[in-house]
Amino acid sequence: MPGWYTIAKWEFFRSRLKFDVRSSALLIFSLILVIIASFAAAQTDMSMNQRIYSVSTTEPGIEYILESDQRFDSRTVSVYEASNFYQYGNDLAIIGNNAYLGETRKAASAGSALENTVKEYRELVLTSYDDVNNSHPVWVTVHDIERPQNIQLLSAEETAGQLEAGSREMENDQDTGEASEYNREEMTPESIRPGSSFTPPENADELDKYKGKAFFERQKISTPTHFSPPIPFTAILYAFLFIFPIYFVSQFYSTSIMDERTNRKGELMLAAPLLGRDIVIGKTIPYLLITVLIQAAITLYIMGIPSGKEGLQDILLILASIFPVVLLFFALSFFGAILSRSFKELTFASVFLSVIISGYLFFPAMFTNIHAISSISPVTLIVRLIEGESILFETYMFSTFPFYFVALSAFAFGTFIFREEDLFTQKTITEKIVDSFEIFLSHRYGSVFLLSIVFIPFVYMCQLMLIVMLFNLPAPYSVIAMIGLSALAEELVKSAGIYTIYKRKLADPSLKNAARFAILSGAGFFVGEKAVAVLTLAPIASSAFGSVMTMGTLLLIPLILHISTTMISSLGMYRLGTGRYLITVLLATIIHSAYNMFILRVILFG
Amino acid sequence: MGRSGKSHKKIKSIAKKELAELMHEKTFILSVLIQLFIATFSTFLVIGLTSFYDPTAIGDMEMQGTKIAVVGTEDNELYHLLQESKLNTVLYSDLTLAYTDFYERRADAIIVTASGPPGGEDILNVEIYLPKSEIKATLISMQIKEPLEKFEQQVRDIRTQRLQGYSPVDINIINRGVKTSSTYFEFIYVALLPLLVFTPAFISGGLIIDFITEEYERKTMELLLASPASLLDIISGKVLLATAIVPLQSFTWMLLLELNWISIGNFVQILVVVTLIGLMLVLLSSTIALTFKDRGVSQLLYSMILIFLFMVSYLFTNSPLNLVTRLSIESIGSLESGTWIMIYAIAAVALYILMRAKVNQNTITFKR
Repeated sequence: MPGWYTIAKWEFFRSRLKFDVRSSALLIFSLILVIIASFAAAQTDMSMNQRIYSVSTTEPGIEYILESDQRFDSRTVSVYEASNFYQYGNDLAIIGNNAYLGETRKAASAGSALENTVKEYRELVLTSYDDVNNSHPVWVTVHDIERPQNIQLLSAEETAGQLEAGSREMENDQDTGEASEYNREEMTPESIRPGSSFTPPENADELDKYKGKAFFERQKISTPTHFSPPIPFTAILYAFLFIFPIYFVSQFYSTSIMDERTNRKGELMLAAPLLGRDIVIGKTIPYLLITVLIQAAITLYIMGIPSGKEGLQDILLILASIFPVVLLFFALSFFGAILSRSFKELTFASVFLSVIISGYLFFPAMFTNIHAISSISPVTLIVRLIEGESILFETYMFSTFPFYFVALSAFAFGTFIFREEDLFTQKTITEKIVDSFEIFLSHRYGSVFLLSIVFIPFVYMCQLMLIVMLFNLPAPYSVIAMIGLSALAEELVKSAGIYTIYKRKLADPSLKNAARFAILSGAGFFVGEKAVAVLTLAPIASSAFGSVMTMGTLLLIPLILHISTTMISSLGMYRLGTGRYLITVLLATIIHSAYNMFILRVILFG
Repeated sequence: MGRSGKSHKKIKSIAKKELAELMHEKTFILSVLIQLFIATFSTFLVIGLTSFYDPTAIGDMEMQGTKIAVVGTEDNELYHLLQESKLNTVLYSDLTLAYTDFYERRADAIIVTASGPPGGEDILNVEIYLPKSEIKATLISMQIKEPLEKFEQQVRDIRTQRLQGYSPVDINIINRGVKTSSTYFEFIYVALLPLLVFTPAFISGGLIIDFITEEYERKTMELLLASPASLLDIISGKVLLATAIVPLQSFTWMLLLELNWISIGNFVQILVVVTLIGLMLVLLSSTIALTFKDRGVSQLLYSMILIFLFMVSYLFTNSPLNLVTRLSIESIGSLESGTWIMIYAIAAVALYILMRAKVNQNTITFKR
């Protein structure tokens, strides 16, 4: 029986023991309360906008409409009082058929709300007539059609597009030129003709069905009133359903790891004839299993019980998209639990990590169906699958590869320092991180070359995060900030291994060694970067942001750049000592950024 | 009385100890800073997105680059309405020609107008072709919504006369220059502001669980109790600190929003409400932590109760989140807001009594 299995079994029973009768009863009771309250809340508008606008009206008939909307706080008053409405602090007054607004932004907003309420009331009344041809005479059918794009990503078009000139555009034009010839054959106007696809609803009951459709998918048929642009807010809310349980379970997971560390409880386990790896796997598996089961239940809840092979495939694909996210949450909670020195630190670490990962997951997903940049996040894949679209294998790789890799390496580095001297001592966080590097480098096959490669996905995720955060800065600044920050990230990871070597005296400090490590680390980073570019970057490689990350087609110059900037920090540390680590990295960053800006001068400065 | 004076000092020294520990951990400061940083960016992003969702915020500028191909005849009503709304339209007689231009990127959308007369019996179907996964599709959808609705209204004006006993409700809204959409306004004041100011309160509730369970799990509680401080002093000190950091953080959030030109009314009252809710959550969590003395179970139960409270606040007017919204846009009288602040204060006192009972129970158990 493998060692990890024993630990897993033990962990499973132990976590069950923690819930005694009293706590289980209370938890179940609170769960029931939550379900009842959610059910009650779902009957309302699900918005805490009660009585935010105050209205005075002279028409009792209007009051009936206003009361249907919880936002209005309305009173029926005399004409005199209504005409002095702003003196009574009201936002708007309805006198006869006219609505008079105050001068504030709130009043303007109240006017807009009133307009919508009246519109909704009208729809409600009209729907009660069972005569669609006269009550809802106009219908809109929307077709989304793919067409060849000049530049693959719109961010390029928006932020740097106008500035982009010369050879790049020529190159792209040639590319799409060929592609369009090919597509042209298949897509003729005849093939997109609606034909008999439009079937108007037979009676008013069906109207509700059409309204509901917009909930999940981009609505295809609607009346002009219900016609809305493709922003999948609701689908994102559903994606929240997936992420939420992960927060909970990873909390328990990191508490369990931390538990081993407080009061040296885990010492016995470490003393047992088990590998650190077995203990980590054993402690992780039960939580991972529970989370995957929860995710499967949620998927079934949203998608319904699959009827055929197609449905089953969609459900498996959703699970496959969420799995790397679960893995990453767990890996970072694990690493956080190993690094933190107290529960407080752990709480902050997990809140902080949750915020970062959620940002990374949700912001790009808001642009689903709007912008290609959204495919950075696996949540986009889930939203698309819920909407009934299919996803390509490349897209899956593109959004999940960094998650898998970062999660697995975080687990690996955490396992390295899963030993007594790091678990039960009050070492600083930096010390522990350096410890994990040291173990990696002391391994038979470990070298700065490999370490640089391992870091690539971390840098890559960092840079994708930067794209998300810098997305809304104005054009040239966003690219400049991106260049500087991604250069900093790259220089940091390239020199981290060398720092460890000097700090822990893993090699003789000599000029020759300093140069050797710089060449190894720089070359390693270069090799890894190119590998990632080939694997995943294709979808966004042609955007301006993408070119910052991969830096074009010339191969030799980037190699020399990576080596020489690493040389700066390596030699700097050799001469000045490891205390000046950050200064040398900063210097390397400045030179790296200067080179990148020179290459991208066309995009930046026209 | 002298005893209570002394216990005052002890509570203060416990709070000081916790604060010193909290500040000693640079990660706390760092995480607060980074949270702020990320939240600012997300605020910017979300505000950007909402204003993007709101057609009035776009203006005519960005629509100049887009061209809409309309397939139909010169005298079509919808075509006239599209022209009136300053859209860049070109008339085509045939879908094939329009599609060629769409494909060659000379046009960005195709609208095939309905052929039937407005006064007829048949449903009028408008076909719209939009470029998939392009930002222009969203822009165009928003821009053509208004002319489409006008068209629907025109047709309805004719056809609803055939409906028995239908009289349309008509209200002219007279604007006073300021133009804004309720979506944007409500997003900021109903969703963003309350969530931001209450986040510190939610976090503090979780924090106090760590403060208390840590002492038990590390077995340092016994050491603390050996000092002249009683269990009540220790817990009160922790409660004091966890509550005190709530208004500080909320204040920063509100200041940040003000810097983004989002004006907030009744600044002080909002801080009072937030502090009271923070105190309630902290008292509740400390009762939970004292009961279970286990971090995982306590945190889970606390999160459940938090979700429950959140769901309940949808159900009534002047729930804490709604109260903050109404205070911030001055939609509530001072008498009403004062009453509700009193109600929350009384609830906090009740929770304090509950916590004290739990502390007493624990003290007795300990002495045994």
